[in-house]
Amino acid sequence: MAKVPQPDIVEEIRQAYARVGITLDRPATYGTYYRLLCGACGKMVGNVGDRLLPGMAAALVEQQFDLYATGGLGCPCGYQRNITRGLDATRWEAAQRRHGGAA
Amino acid sequence: MSERMSSEMSVIDDAEARGRTELWPFWRPIYAQGDPLPRFAPPANRASHRFDEGDPLPEEYRALLLRMLRHEGERAGNKSFLGLMATCLDLAEAIFPDATSKLIKAEYLAEELKHAIMFHRLAVGLERDFALKDVPYAHYSFHLPRETWADDAYFHFFVDLNGAFHARDWRESSYVPLAKMSATVERDELGHSEMGYYFLQRICESPRGKAVAQHLLGKWYPAALDMFGRSDSPNVPKFIGWGLKSVGNAEIRDAYKTYVDGKLLALSLDLPDERANRRFL
Repeated sequence: MAKVPQPDIVEEIRQAYARVGITLDRPATYGTYYRLLCGACGKMVGNVGDRLLPGMAAALVEQQFDLYATGGLGCPCGYQRNITRGLDATRWEAAQRRHGGAA
Repeated sequence: MSERMSSEMSVIDDAEARGRTELWPFWRPIYAQGDPLPRFAPPANRASHRFDEGDPLPEEYRALLLRMLRHEGERAGNKSFLGLMATCLDLAEAIFPDATSKLIKAEYLAEELKHAIMFHRLAVGLERDFALKDVPYAHYSFHLPRETWADDAYFHFFVDLNGAFHARDWRESSYVPLAKMSATVERDELGHSEMGYYFLQRICESPRGKAVAQHLLGKWYPAALDMFGRSDSPNVPKFIGWGLKSVGNAEIRDAYKTYVDGKLLALSLDLPDERANRRFL
């Protein structure tokens, strides 16, 4: 089976993560998987593959808003916490109350 | 099995035995209590097929078998499988919480690479060109973002368990080389799932960890159920007819769901709606 390039999906993933301060690195392994890096300090915060379904990356990042806001996901440097506060302060405050993050 | 191959396997057995710890391999205490996974009974009226390495294979049978092995993916010659393993190494370096967890993950990788050798041998015996085919994992569950230890724990708990359920069914496969290795693969994959579950247990010991695990369950649960494919997949009757599968996607998914639901409830996690965010019903 030939490897099918997934440029649109990769761009979708890049944009979805950029919104919360996470950078999609270059392909880590044969073009299929990518490291996720903190947009501030460059530390690796995870990885993702390029066969997500259309629309899935944005939906997942959106669903994880509370976890970025409270430090359950994202870099220990706190960049994603700060970014999400700027995106939606009301939702961010509510996440602190729900999940016990330090506001 | 040739004398040389037997010798190679005994070296691997010895290496594995020396890797045993109180925790590893996770399958040991489970199988000590009996078979953990259900047997899937094939239709009573199914024709009996049996093919060994080197036998001439009917064209449709060969195509279906190759299709199944492409999905399985754990071959030494499959660059994308090695790439997936590299992501596990990356995560072990970047986000794992302690040295014990890292070492457990290293044992996991060693065992998956053992499977890569086993499936490589099977591929060479089936179709030499296939042995070096790069086949990226097509299902989205292999590509979901893993951004925390809990994500990685869910990946193993759910995805490796999917492999164990399929390997359980291969015990009765009409392709003899696959049937021969099925018990080892099933046992190991069940152990990898238990490794993920062990990590989940540790994560859920703290209220904050449990809250993260509950949140991320909404990402992994639908993907896990989707992995079995559509319930009305048109190819399934062919797989069953040739003895490459025993039951349809819906039946194996139901058994899997019963198994994982019990384990998740034991962690006091709330089960997501089984139809929420599903892509393949």
